[in-house]
Amino acid sequence: MEGAAASKWAREASSDEEDRNQRKKKKTKRFKPSKDSPAFRDGSGTPSSSGRPPRESDMQREGASVDDNLTPMYAQDQEDQEGYRHRSETPVDTSRDQVSEAEPEYHITVPEAEQHPVLTQCRSVENYEKLNRISEGTYGVVYRARDRITGEIVALKKLKLDQEKNGFPITSLREIYTLLLAKHPHIVNVREIVVGDTLTQIFIVMDFIEHDLKELMSEMRAPFLQSEVKTLMLQLLSATELLHENWILHRDLKTSNLLLNNNGELKVADFGLARRYGEPQGVLTQPVVTLWYRAPELLLGAKQYTTAVDIWSIGCIFAEFVNNEPLLPARMPNDKIWPGFSKLPLASHVPNFVQPYNQLRSRLPYLTENGLDLMSKMLTYDPARRITAEDALKHPYFSEAPPPKHPSMFPTWPSKGEKTARKNASPSAPQAAHGHGQDEEEAGGLFNFANQESTGFRLKV
Amino acid sequence: MSQVKLSLQNALLTLEQLQQTPSREDGITEEQEDHLRQLGCHLIQHAGILLKLPQVAMATGQILFQRFFYQASLRKFAVRDISMGSVFLAAKVEECPIRMVDLANVFDHLMKKFHRLPLDPMPAFQQAFYTLKDATIVAEMQILKKLSFNVHVQTPYATMINYLKVLELIDHPVIPQLAWSYLNDGLRTSVYICYQPPTIACSVIWLAARKENVALPTTPAWWEVLDARLEDIENIAGHIASLYHRPLPISSLPLTIEQVEPYLRGEFNSNVINGSTAISTASSSKGTRVSRFS
Repeated sequence: MEGAAASKWAREASSDEEDRNQRKKKKTKRFKPSKDSPAFRDGSGTPSSSGRPPRESDMQREGASVDDNLTPMYAQDQEDQEGYRHRSETPVDTSRDQVSEAEPEYHITVPEAEQHPVLTQCRSVENYEKLNRISEGTYGVVYRARDRITGEIVALKKLKLDQEKNGFPITSLREIYTLLLAKHPHIVNVREIVVGDTLTQIFIVMDFIEHDLKELMSEMRAPFLQSEVKTLMLQLLSATELLHENWILHRDLKTSNLLLNNNGELKVADFGLARRYGEPQGVLTQPVVTLWYRAPELLLGAKQYTTAVDIWSIGCIFAEFVNNEPLLPARMPNDKIWPGFSKLPLASHVPNFVQPYNQLRSRLPYLTENGLDLMSKMLTYDPARRITAEDALKHPYFSEAPPPKHPSMFPTWPSKGEKTARKNASPSAPQAAHGHGQDEEEAGGLFNFANQESTGFRLKV
Repeated sequence: MSQVKLSLQNALLTLEQLQQTPSREDGITEEQEDHLRQLGCHLIQHAGILLKLPQVAMATGQILFQRFFYQASLRKFAVRDISMGSVFLAAKVEECPIRMVDLANVFDHLMKKFHRLPLDPMPAFQQAFYTLKDATIVAEMQILKKLSFNVHVQTPYATMINYLKVLELIDHPVIPQLAWSYLNDGLRTSVYICYQPPTIACSVIWLAARKENVALPTTPAWWEVLDARLEDIENIAGHIASLYHRPLPISSLPLTIEQVEPYLRGEFNSNVINGSTAISTASSSKGTRVSRFS
């Protein structure tokens, strides 16, 4: 059996007597470095008898004997030989025959600089002039600043590093990675990372966006029009679709993390909790996502969750766009509408009561049937049946009248960020997601109210 | 549907960066620089094995280490510090973070081993540990800063496996392991910061197939199908293969910044430190912590 398998690679017996001789001749040349290639690391040394023993994978410069001993062990296996005939007919050796007669030179050829990123150092924050503080979030302060050279207005997000005991926080690494990776018209654009005088001062330089939606909606007298809601939702879903397609979870979608510029363009921001995930899924941190937008499987302590948690958040945001107030779905599911519910770690803590059908309609009396259908699909308890971003984008809600309003037709508002600092009125994402190794200690989920802000919604138990 | 697949390409060197490294400008010879680079990679690889990290994390660490010393001089930053910082950072980047205590213990052990010192365990909660810890945290920040936070590295391992499948070599008794080993050893050369991963994957397969005398399709040439140029493949293979003819005098190479200057003057060998002060472990028993960022 083993013979049959290995015969794939046995060389045809007759094929290369001269080939072998050829290689013997060329062997010495192979390791001659070219003198005029400065980049080449000297590789022509004699094989050493001292120091590190040559590995078994040593090139066969002296290894002609290996060739001579090579017997076509499995050549008698004719059938298999046939199978690989197409290889044997052509010059079988991939090596010297293909190469020009000229003496091979080993040198590094560097592609044109435009074709790949190059190694650079961080620039200094001195390249920007701080104007004012915009807001203070959980992870750091955001400043408005001006580029000293181009005069452009940017946002500088200073990372909080002082408390970190484990070096540079892994969450900030994820955030920077995601932001550098995810270039999309509706994801906030990161220009670069700059450093201050000491090593604790790290700033992410982003495009300055005039509003965050949380702030904006609290100022607005009337909710968004249906056409505007559709545009915002389409933009949000397209950004989310890109993230999910590339195996990234945002894990903190909420209105205060959605920015809107004066051209009606929504930008997803704050990737402080974002991370890559994969198949098979490992255990992920709990708790994540701000409580108001946290999917039920997270509330109940699931440690393996999917992109569906982001969709739940989007469903909450959708309702918030329509109603101009947060949706607080304080209803508990059961095994009938969500099989597997009772197996979740904290499910036994939840008192059993029956909710046979959903009551979203009572919360959203003015939404069309299609709109309600989309929202119900986003707020489906069972994460496996929850709609995906890709499918949500194709939902008939977006094609029925009124059509989505073009972003350039959006109303504009005076920017808050140009004035003074403000307090963050909405609750923050859980702190625990910020360091690794804390998962075990966290009881997590619904009943861990000790650290929650007073503004967060509570379930009456 | 959009189907945009995002990826961050690996940063590569420009010709100038390759020709004139900061260490060379600082008066370190090409051979010395090569030895110190290999030493750092050796250290990272072995630390990764002891820490049970996945190979991809060790590869990331070694690539970060290599990249770093194209931005900074080996005279100013010690091999020990930067390799510790690289492992620490790479473990986070690859989502398998390690504890500082484990890292410090492993490096303490390896450094003693490299310099043929007695392998006493590192005393807990004493100056030796805090020295290593602070050095690691500073080194991590320096790496991030010098590489402008571009620390997510693409490695050729998965690509190589796929190529082996395409070439129907995946069940060969020798080639997959051999090619994998070439990838690991190649981390000690500059190929990972001069070529993109797919080219490197082709090259190690080419090298392994030649070693095993296995014929690969040539009409059309398989490397052309995989978008690699034969010239690049041969260059990379040459660099990797030449590694095996360069012995690494591990015990006479400097690990800390204090050992670098004697080494560059040619006065350093491990006998000097055997009896005396060069490694400042265990000597000071009072655990006074130094500030994290100097």
